[in-house]
This record gives sequence, C-alpha cells and structure tokens, in this order.
Amino acid sequence: MRRRAVVVGLLLCILAGCGHWLRVGGPYTSTADGISLEFPDGWMRSNTEKDVVLITRDGVLLQYMMVQTFHVNDALRFTKKKFRRDMLPQEVAEVILDNKASNPSTLTFKVEENVPAKVGGRPGFRVSYTFKNKDGLRLKGLYYGTLVDDRFYGISYTAAARHYFDLDRKTFENVFRTFRIDQAS
Amino acid sequence: MRRHILIFVALVLAISGCATTRLAPVSSGDVAFEQDEKRLWARAKEETDALKNGGVLYEDHALNRYLNQVARKLVPADTFRSIPFVIHVIRNPHLNAFTMPDGAIYIHTGLLARMENEAQLATLLAHEMTHATHRHAIREFRSTRNKAAFFATMSFTIGSVPVVGGLTNLMGSLGSRAAISGYSQAMETEADTEGFHLLRRAGDDPTEAPKLFDHLLDDTKEEGVAEPFFFGTHPRLSERIGNYTRLIKDLPPAARKGARHPEAFLDATRRLLLENAHLDIKAGRFGPAERAAKKSLASRPKTAGAHLVLGDIYRQRNAEGDMDLAKTHYTRAIGLDATNPAPHKGLGLVHYRLGDKAAAKKALRAYLTGAPSAPDRGYVEETIRQIDGRTQ
Repeated sequence: MRRRAVVVGLLLCILAGCGHWLRVGGPYTSTADGISLEFPDGWMRSNTEKDVVLITRDGVLLQYMMVQTFHVNDALRFTKKKFRRDMLPQEVAEVILDNKASNPSTLTFKVEENVPAKVGGRPGFRVSYTFKNKDGLRLKGLYYGTLVDDRFYGISYTAAARHYFDLDRKTFENVFRTFRIDQAS
Repeated sequence: MRRHILIFVALVLAISGCATTRLAPVSSGDVAFEQDEKRLWARAKEETDALKNGGVLYEDHALNRYLNQVARKLVPADTFRSIPFVIHVIRNPHLNAFTMPDGAIYIHTGLLARMENEAQLATLLAHEMTHATHRHAIREFRSTRNKAAFFATMSFTIGSVPVVGGLTNLMGSLGSRAAISGYSQAMETEADTEGFHLLRRAGDDPTEAPKLFDHLLDDTKEEGVAEPFFFGTHPRLSERIGNYTRLIKDLPPAARKGARHPEAFLDATRRLLLENAHLDIKAGRFGPAERAAKKSLASRPKTAGAHLVLGDIYRQRNAEGDMDLAKTHYTRAIGLDATNPAPHKGLGLVHYRLGDKAAAKKALRAYLTGAPSAPDRGYVEETIRQIDGRTQ
C-alpha cells in the first residue's frame, strides 16, 4: 500500500513537472497574432509563456526558438524605446538590439551581423549576436524581425555558442522559411 | 532532568554557533583578520577575478589612476596597508556601486556620469570604503550565520530536522548581495557617518554629499523606473540624503566648505560621460543622455562626440522639433570631425525622414565612403536604392 502511494506520488510529481511543456511538431497557426509556421518534430513548447511562442529540445538553458509579436505602443522589457509605424528596417533592428543590450542579465553583448532580410515576405532584418549570461555561459542568437503597419513580428533562435548553436541552426532556418505573417485578426 | 539536559545542549550549540559581530574597525596596518574573514576575502578575490575575466570592466587607465588617487587621500596610509583599496569601473548605465571586503570597489559608469565634481565622488568612495574598514561584510555574514545557527539549534531541540541550507552560497555572491540590497540600515548609516568624517578630513566640501544623492533621486523619479540596485532605489537614496543633511546641520557654519574640484573630475570622466550616454540611449533613457552631452559641451563646446550623442538622441526620441535639432547637431559633429562616418549616417536618416531624398542620399554615400565595411552597409545601400526608385 505504502509502495503504491509512493509510485502514485512520483507519477503526480512527474506529470506536474511536464505540465509546463507540450511536445510539438508540424503546422502551427495563431489567428490572434496573425502568424503561422511549422514546428520541428521532437521539440517541446512552453505553455506558461503566454505572450510568446517558446520551443526547445534540450532545455531553454541550452537552446530555444521564440516567436514574438508586439504592437508599436507596447513597452519593451529593457529599453524605454518604442517602435514607430514609419521606421526603416534598420531602425527596427536598432530597437530590438538595444532592448537586448540593455538587459542587465546580458553581459558583453556583441552584434556580429545586421543585414536586411525578407521576413515572412516583408522587408525586415536579420541580426546575429553573442553574449554571456550571468553564469558566464556564452550564448549566440539569430533574430529575424519586421514591422508591418503597427505590429512587430520577430522570430529568433538562441543557443549555447559551443556545440548547441550550430547543432540546431539549420532546424531554425527551416522553421524560419515556413514563417508566414497573415496579420493579426 | 531530561529537560535540563536539552536546555544545556541547546545553549552550548547556540553559543558555539554564534561568532561575535562586534569587530574593531581597521585603522592601522597590523590588523589580525580572523579565519572566516580571510575566507571571505578569498571569495572576494574569486569574484573580482570573475568580473575581470567577464569583460564587464570599463578600461580607461587615466580614469582609473584618478579614481584611485582620490581614494588614497581619503584614508590614512596605515589603513591602506591592511586593506589595499582598488577602484574599478563597470560599463553599465545603472546607478550602482559596491565594495568587496578586501577593498575592491566597483562603480558603474552610470553612477560616475551623474556626478558633478570630485567632492561628490569622494562622498561615494568614503561611504564604500567605510563598508570595508568597518568590516561590514563579515559582520553581516556572521549575523546571518548566527541566526541560521540559532534556528538550527532550536530545530534540533524541538526534535525536527535541522536544516542550515545556503550557508555556503552566502559566502559567494558577496558583491551582488551588497550591490542589490546594500547592508543593514545601521551599517549604511555608519558608512554615511564615518564616510562623512573621511570626506571632511580630506578637505572636500561636505555640502556636496547630499547633492550627489539628490541628483540620483531626481534621475530615478524622472525615469520612473525602479532601478534594481541600492543606489537607484528611492527609500535608500532618501536615507542617504537625510543622514548627510543631518551631519551638515551639526557642523559649525565655518566648517561647511571645502574643495570640490569640478574641472579635475570632468577632465577624468569626459570620455566616460559620452560612452555612458550611448548606453543610456540604448536603454531609451534620453534625459540623462542629453544632460551628459550638454555637460560635456558646456566645458568644451567643440566636442564632436557630444554633438553626435545629441543628434542620436533627437533622431531616436522623435518628439516635435527633434528632427531639426538632430540635423543641427549631426551637421555640427561633421563640421568638427568630418572623418567620423557615424554623424553622416544619422544625418542621412534624418534627411530621409524629413523627405529630402537628395540630401539623404548624399549623406548616406558619405557614410559608406567613410565606413566601407560598415556592418549595416546592406541597409544603407537598400535605402539609397529606394531613393533611386530601384528596390531589390
């Protein structure tokens, strides 16, 4: 009886722990955000993140992909700068990069590349950067973004610079190629 | 009988777990530091090494020399033999400073950029140095450990499982603990009071002491952002202002004066002022960035870098009339130093926004000529193509 109770308890703990992550794969559409894409197979999506789509395979400390949308009036987390409807792609990229650089948990933030790119068929940007987190782990990021009317759309990939970034970069580029902007409803 | 034994055991454990938090301040060169204090110093050294290797330090040898000179005049040479104070600067726009128990003091560029003169710098240094001379880190560590030991002893006595978790963690993150929350209110007040005496002994103007914290308080109010650090929080800043104001009131009027050395301070921090302004711009804190650039221009009106900062602020803030202001400052920056490509790009973007496509193209071309391998070359070429009516 006691052994069964322990087993049930363990199962409950495991289920509660896994409840935050759902296995994903295949098409994903958000009519609220006006986006669609194809998730890679075998990745897990966080269901505690309500404002972003966050997926990982080995854990967010090692690698994750994120899809974000903002209204131009939305406040960003680390910079007080805001988007404006008439911004050029390089000005939009500047706001995103400054938000990242102003994160107090991000150390030695360095931009490696900042170039124009089509994002979901719209004129946008692609930036790549490196930084260290508070534990001294060096991470690498790749961020595509575009401003369509009064909404910003961003899709990014962040991973430990050593081993993990290169491991899933191609997977991310494949996801990015399926990324479509249908505009929020 | 059994009850007496339990009480005796509890008392022995409580006493053996409690180390004194009453330690004499370091005022001479022959202080015998205790074992746990030496371990704390060793941890501080590790944290200092981590900060050095982490790439977060702001490198300006002349500034470092100046800061360490100001620190040296504040405490007697004997004290320096026991605690070899070294001042470092961290590249960070937040309002913060903290001290390791071994005398390593860290000041953020953001805090230095808000100061006006050497007397204000000395106020901060004297406050921070007092944390080390009065051994606040080990006193606070022991106080926390004693409480943990007390609770552990009580837990043992009443028969539950004793848990003394996190003591080893306490030894680490010394700097971050002090930086974020500061020390206890009593220790911070002691740092104000003793620091104030050091300031006066060195001949600095004591009336500057509260002004530093007044500026910081105004800054945090203006920005409306709760800074995560000790020197950026309203209650802590108000405490400092209250303490220093009381200390000044107790002085006879003749003693309310001293040296301020604003020129020496500005000379030493001139480069930092503008570099920190760029960090403030990134964070969207245009007010402090604008004040820093204007402070630089007030003493040296022909500083191209300050005009560039103002151009960047007005272009990105984009309030009414800002584009014209940006145009003026970018043009002045180019007039003072035509070799720097950055204001050409800013000017090009401003012209583009104002609809003057020909002027935009000319300025953007000048940017690419000055910076042929600019990382954002692709954007600039794309904008020129758009101006020419050729989109990719």
